[in-house]
Amino acid sequence: MNPIAINENAPRLDRLQLAALVGLMGVGVAFVFSATMVNEAAASLPFIKQLWFRQIVWYSVGVGAAVALCLVDYHTLARWSFVAYWGTIFLLAAVPIFGTMRGGARRWFDLGFFSLQPSEFAKLAFILAMAHFLSRPLDELRAPMNFWKALGLLALPFVLVMKEPDLGSALVFIPSGFAMMLVAGVPRRYLFRLIGIVGVMASLILVDVLFAPPSWQIKLEEYQRQRLLVYFGQDFAPPNATPKQKAEARRLQQEKSYQAKQALISVGSGGFTGKGWRQGNQTAGGFLPPGAAHTDFIFSVIAEEKGFVGSVTVLTLYAVVLFTGLRIAGQARDRLGKVLAAGVVTLLFSHVFINIGMNIRLMPVTGIPLPLLSYGGSSVIGSLIAIGLLQNVHIYRRGY
Amino acid sequence: MIIFDQLKRNDSQLQLLTIMLCASLAVLFAGLWWVQIVNKGRYQESLEIQSSRSVRLPAVRGKILDRNGAVLADNRPSYNINLYLEDLSGAFKKEYTRARPRRVVTNDLPFWKDWLGFTTVSTQFTKLKDGQAQTIARDSRYRVANGVVSQVADVLKAPLTLDYTNFSRHYETRLSLPYPVVSNISSLHLARFAEESFNSRGLELEVQPRRVYPFGPTAAHVLGYLRKDDSSAEGEEAFFWYRMPDYRGMVGIEGGFDQQLRGRAGAKSVQVNNLGYRQNENIWSPVEPGQNVVLTLDLKIQQAAEASIRKLPVPNAHAAVVVMEVESGDLLAVASSPSADPNNFIKGFTKPELERWHDDKVGVQKNRATGEQYQAGSIFKTIVALAALENGLNPQEIYRVAANPANPNKGVIYVGKQKFNDTAPPGDYDLRRALLRSSNAYFITNGLRPGVFERVVELSQRLHLGERIGLPLMQEAAGHFPSAKRIHANWTAGSTANICIGQGEMDVTPLQMAVMTSALANGGKVLWPRLVDRRESSDLAGLEPPTIYEKGRIRDNLGVSQRSLKLLREAMLAETEDLEGTGNNVLGTGFRVCGKTGTAERTEQGEKKNTTWFISFAPYEKPRFAVVVMVENGKSGGGTCAPIAKDVYLALKNFDKLAGAIPLTAAAQ
Repeated sequence: MNPIAINENAPRLDRLQLAALVGLMGVGVAFVFSATMVNEAAASLPFIKQLWFRQIVWYSVGVGAAVALCLVDYHTLARWSFVAYWGTIFLLAAVPIFGTMRGGARRWFDLGFFSLQPSEFAKLAFILAMAHFLSRPLDELRAPMNFWKALGLLALPFVLVMKEPDLGSALVFIPSGFAMMLVAGVPRRYLFRLIGIVGVMASLILVDVLFAPPSWQIKLEEYQRQRLLVYFGQDFAPPNATPKQKAEARRLQQEKSYQAKQALISVGSGGFTGKGWRQGNQTAGGFLPPGAAHTDFIFSVIAEEKGFVGSVTVLTLYAVVLFTGLRIAGQARDRLGKVLAAGVVTLLFSHVFINIGMNIRLMPVTGIPLPLLSYGGSSVIGSLIAIGLLQNVHIYRRGY
Repeated sequence: MIIFDQLKRNDSQLQLLTIMLCASLAVLFAGLWWVQIVNKGRYQESLEIQSSRSVRLPAVRGKILDRNGAVLADNRPSYNINLYLEDLSGAFKKEYTRARPRRVVTNDLPFWKDWLGFTTVSTQFTKLKDGQAQTIARDSRYRVANGVVSQVADVLKAPLTLDYTNFSRHYETRLSLPYPVVSNISSLHLARFAEESFNSRGLELEVQPRRVYPFGPTAAHVLGYLRKDDSSAEGEEAFFWYRMPDYRGMVGIEGGFDQQLRGRAGAKSVQVNNLGYRQNENIWSPVEPGQNVVLTLDLKIQQAAEASIRKLPVPNAHAAVVVMEVESGDLLAVASSPSADPNNFIKGFTKPELERWHDDKVGVQKNRATGEQYQAGSIFKTIVALAALENGLNPQEIYRVAANPANPNKGVIYVGKQKFNDTAPPGDYDLRRALLRSSNAYFITNGLRPGVFERVVELSQRLHLGERIGLPLMQEAAGHFPSAKRIHANWTAGSTANICIGQGEMDVTPLQMAVMTSALANGGKVLWPRLVDRRESSDLAGLEPPTIYEKGRIRDNLGVSQRSLKLLREAMLAETEDLEGTGNNVLGTGFRVCGKTGTAERTEQGEKKNTTWFISFAPYEKPRFAVVVMVENGKSGGGTCAPIAKDVYLALKNFDKLAGAIPLTAAAQ
């Protein structure tokens, strides 16, 4: 390890970003508490079994991992990135066999004390590997072969995560990969072509799911199809269904649109200033599904209890983290640092956008956590490691 | 600003990324603004709809009291045992899990799991068919609740059962309200229940006011009755998710003063969770208890009148008694027979009681004192006498009544070709004798004299015959009297002759006759009868001043000379005191009573029926009370009605002693 020679005047860490980070973690603990301590049964659990406390544990582990990561120059990390990449690919491939089933999807390894969600770490490994791959000389990037290789790098984890099935997590690979290629300097014509292809594919899939007769439809998981139908307000029942089937479809539709509807009611009923911490009816009354209120729908809890003021505060904290992230990208020593930082920022932002978007019905409901706020070890640790990577790029911007 | 730092840099890719980030954040900001600010109301409404249930809470109904404070319609606490289902939700769930069918499966494990020592045999829940889960859940809920109910039954030592259908329906439609296990329990059961602490098992004691009429059928027509009705009153919140049982007054004071007695229903909202169980509740509109209504009735007088009617030889006699103070217009008794116990509407009818209630022949629903109209018969001769006197009749002038050829002991008179039989014997009559023997011939002859009938019509108009008085009973007949227009078209001397003896085209109610009798007694003042003394707050600390109804309001004046009234009063005194008088039966009360008997005959479906009357006031020296008695199908006014009036006068002797003394709320009957 080289001792780091830095400009004495330049701060070693991006303090503004860290401040926003601390703010987000504070909000996270407060609202995981609010979302879970809804009944006596939850409140009477021993201290260490309570989720807000566990969230603090995940924060600590995550911060520890991030600090550890910052001790190593990101160049060194990049050199090892393919090991991490293939390691996570292996885990993703193993999940369908060894993983535990929860809510119709196999996404976790049950380690007893901890459920590991490999896709969270696969995202990071992918970003590191992609950054390393894209940091080659610009001339090489112009070669179509390398462009296709980069796409392959993206497609492999994407397909595996999609298979779990976890559409939401799979989707965040695309903007991250795209942003990294853009920042790395991959020729625009490739990117436009990519956008074109992805756009056409996506719209074809949508049209197929929403309007094509059943025999023509591609095989999506049934619940994915239903979520899309709910989002676009389509009827579940095929047009030639019997009244009984239609009634059944309507019941199913109500059930399926329940989460989205309840999230919207929570956010909307919060109004300008909200109902106050731990005063949300939606959470206490169990309208927000008890399993999801503190995880994927934590934003609904915040928005209900703290209103528009609270949601904008959260949005602002994220904006600070993201823009300082971009500043780090701009100040990075080399293209590797810049691409890495841009990838992390886009990854975090994709999560924020999709998660908040699904709370206000801008996006279909997908199981995507809100970084740092949603309860969950893998997500929290993954997000903190991602920010650790940003800080790493910042710390080593004047190295050597 | 960190955002602009990025844009100033000469790095087009990062600039693009920054712009996209800004744009997306702006989209989120706008979305939040749209949901949380612009459409806030809509979502708050949805939240309200899905998480709160409004419940209408009826107010405690005001009491009805008599003039001395005896409670005629009361509220007594009724104790119910309620089961709060949310306290059992955990037990429901447990029982459901226990009751779900399971099966033991032997898994064909992949080699590595087998190798790692996973077991191949496990117990799983079997997959349930459509509706099967609901049935199991419903049954397990019933088992849990039934267990609690049988515990209650053990403690109360009473046979209690939980009805499956009832309980399931309650669970499905009224989950946020407690389930009533048993209502209106006895004090013994109450004591047994209170000894045990049941609160942990979701059981709670609830107190509800229950309408009681301590005197049963006494004054039942005046009091009226209640029917179950929980609809919103005017000016009240119209939409409620649930309504607690409430009653509406149908007729009588309960009906006429329903709004005031009812008070103002309150409302609470029950917060429910996603399963519909109660979370908590708050009362957002408190109940305002109803006002008490204090009547002018005197319970003792009322009871005396009703008891006297019951002495008549026929069961369920159709009769009415109205007792009125002649100066104030206060109604001291308004009795109508037969009557039914209004408590039946609260505690439920027995089969014979229900049949009696609906039997038209018995006619318990009719208020015969105010709501039915009858031919007046001879009691109307008092008015004809007044009219004749005012028209210049010499009271000593003798009129000779001819004998009836068909019945030489009775008189007769012919008007045109129409023959009017008389019940009085032929002979010489002056006004006094004509009144006390009730000679039809005398009054028809004098009624037909020029100018007299016009005065009869005028007096009747001043008495407002044919018009409603407007007592708040919702059971009032207007009666009938020919209008001035009527007597100028197709009117014959025969019609006049009929009116002169209180028959033909006129009908009156006993109440109207009480007003008439009072007017004869008090010097010609036609009063508004007064049934309600005041309405007052039922809350003892109520700051609201009572609404007092004015005494002795004069509606009209007969406009006849005191001389004529004095002559009439003397003739009416003779009716009861003269040996020849028809009203002797009222003697012996200590009052000198002025009276007039009457019998109106009518033929109904070939059957001869009559209405017998006795109108009276006393004491002669300074009249205070008017007593009107009407009995359908009595023998005669003097024979059937006067003895009832006598009983009433006997009770009235103690009237002043009773005033102000508040009797204990006597046990029923």
